Amino acid sequence: MTAVVQAEGLTKYYGKRRGLEDLTLEIQPGEIFGYLGPNGSGKTTTIRLLLDVIRPTRGHVRVLGAGSREAAVRGRIGYLPGELALEGRERARDYLDFLGRVRGGVPPARVDALAERLNADLSVPMRKLSKGNKQKIGLIQAFMHEPELLILDEPTGGLDPLVQQEFLAMVREVRAAGRTVLMSSHVLAEVEHVSDRVGIVRAGRLIAVEHVAALREKAMRRVELHFDAPVPPEAFQGLPGVRDLRVEGAALRCTIDGRPDALIKAAARFTVVHLVSAEPDLEEIFLTYYSDEERHDDRQEPA
Amino acid sequence: MIAKSLRDFRRALIGWTIGISAFMTLYLGVYGSIKQNPDVYGQQALAKFPGALKDLMGGLQDFTSGPGYLQSVVYQLFVPMLFIVCAMLVANRAIAQPEEAGTLELVVTLPIDRKRFVLDRFAALALGLLATAGVTLIVTWVVAEAVGMGVGFDRILAAHTGVFLLALFFGTLTLAVGAATGRRAAAMAVVGVWAVLGYVVVTVGRSVEAIAWLKWISPFHYYAEGQPLYQGLPVGDYLVLAGATAVLALTAVLAFDRRDVGV
Repeated sequence: MTAVVQAEGLTKYYGKRRGLEDLTLEIQPGEIFGYLGPNGSGKTTTIRLLLDVIRPTRGHVRVLGAGSREAAVRGRIGYLPGELALEGRERARDYLDFLGRVRGGVPPARVDALAERLNADLSVPMRKLSKGNKQKIGLIQAFMHEPELLILDEPTGGLDPLVQQEFLAMVREVRAAGRTVLMSSHVLAEVEHVSDRVGIVRAGRLIAVEHVAALREKAMRRVELHFDAPVPPEAFQGLPGVRDLRVEGAALRCTIDGRPDALIKAAARFTVVHLVSAEPDLEEIFLTYYSDEERHDDRQEPA
Repeated sequence: MIAKSLRDFRRALIGWTIGISAFMTLYLGVYGSIKQNPDVYGQQALAKFPGALKDLMGGLQDFTSGPGYLQSVVYQLFVPMLFIVCAMLVANRAIAQPEEAGTLELVVTLPIDRKRFVLDRFAALALGLLATAGVTLIVTWVVAEAVGMGVGFDRILAAHTGVFLLALFFGTLTLAVGAATGRRAAAMAVVGVWAVLGYVVVTVGRSVEAIAWLKWISPFHYYAEGQPLYQGLPVGDYLVLAGATAVLALTAVLAFDRRDVGV
């Protein structure tokens, strides 16, 4: 199967300023790809290159099997800009009508259904919409023509938690239908629950592409155990995979690298009254990538 | 896209149409009293004006006759300038203004070819200005008839066609600079400088040998030289204006097709 997004050596300079350097990436059909990086790292540059809003300095990109310069292919893409601007006296519904017509027609019932799911009011002039409500209109226009590829730049900005949940459900439905999503974010937590793979971009370079499942396995897990009586710290000393061990009276705190088996077996000798195991903190891995790369850069510079 | 563009331009166009029509009604309405008192507004009165000012107003000859008044008050300076400003503001709504506001981002990602997009915007600009010109033409003619100006419809049509072509030229210039740079201010600066200098060159500058040749690049030369109110439609001059407009439109299309949007 041909990749939905195929970038090769994609590079963009704004004058002398680097936007993106040598991006090579393939996104497969039916995949949800999380595109992560701090602000100004090149996420939006990549997305705007895919959509032919800006032109690459070097390299090339194919989207849905066509060159990015071919206008017709953009009817099969749904795009939510990172900084969505909607203004004017035009009502949201009229604007959506216009976008739908240009993209080859969208049944009004589908627009209404999306509006209801996201709890968006389409009868208000767009300049009167709040940031969150504008974002809802942006999501509706991106999803409404059921595009084969959704490109969403920071999609959850300004949305309240309930709407965020609804949005994630919509993304999962898109994957279930075999369609593809590329969504960017500067925090992993926003994308980790729906993404199959994440790409991490920093200072204009793609530094890692990982399956989320693999990331999660690598992740450190914080564990807290409470016993009915104080426990001797020696009993937990030197267990494989256990780090940052702290025993204070009847409470034990540590982080686990990999499997928790050894710790559980050691704790089984005492009476456990309470156990807290946090979700694997991918954010930490994510931050490790950033700082590793920084060290990497430092090493390279003198050479 | 043309329909959508016209909707984007609608409010501005309606506003300017009303404004220009009001100007026409007001100034042409006064002609009645001028015709009855030619002495007050006649040659002696005009002699008090400084020469340079008279030059700037196109000489102010024959102020009390119908065509003379119409030429001096309406078609010499005020109405062309109003139309140019209108065209400039409307044309900026096509590309530069939405680009600066960020609303163009979504529009350029629609399945519309960039070249086609600019052409549609240009077509909407031309149609919008044509509508404004059409309405104000009717108003001018009706008021001119009402006050007994004695200028035939064909002559007013000829002069008004010139106003339309002049406005379309500067509107398309705005579009071209906006398409190439994405900056409203740049477009307005280019139009402002070209329009003011172009006007000065064909009025005050006429008598200055050193700059007289500049009239060839002044749109006002092709607008006014043929004296459409007296001589009828100056086909050749108007074709030059239309041709220059076509070149500018093509420039806009090619410039926008090559460029990064919104950076």
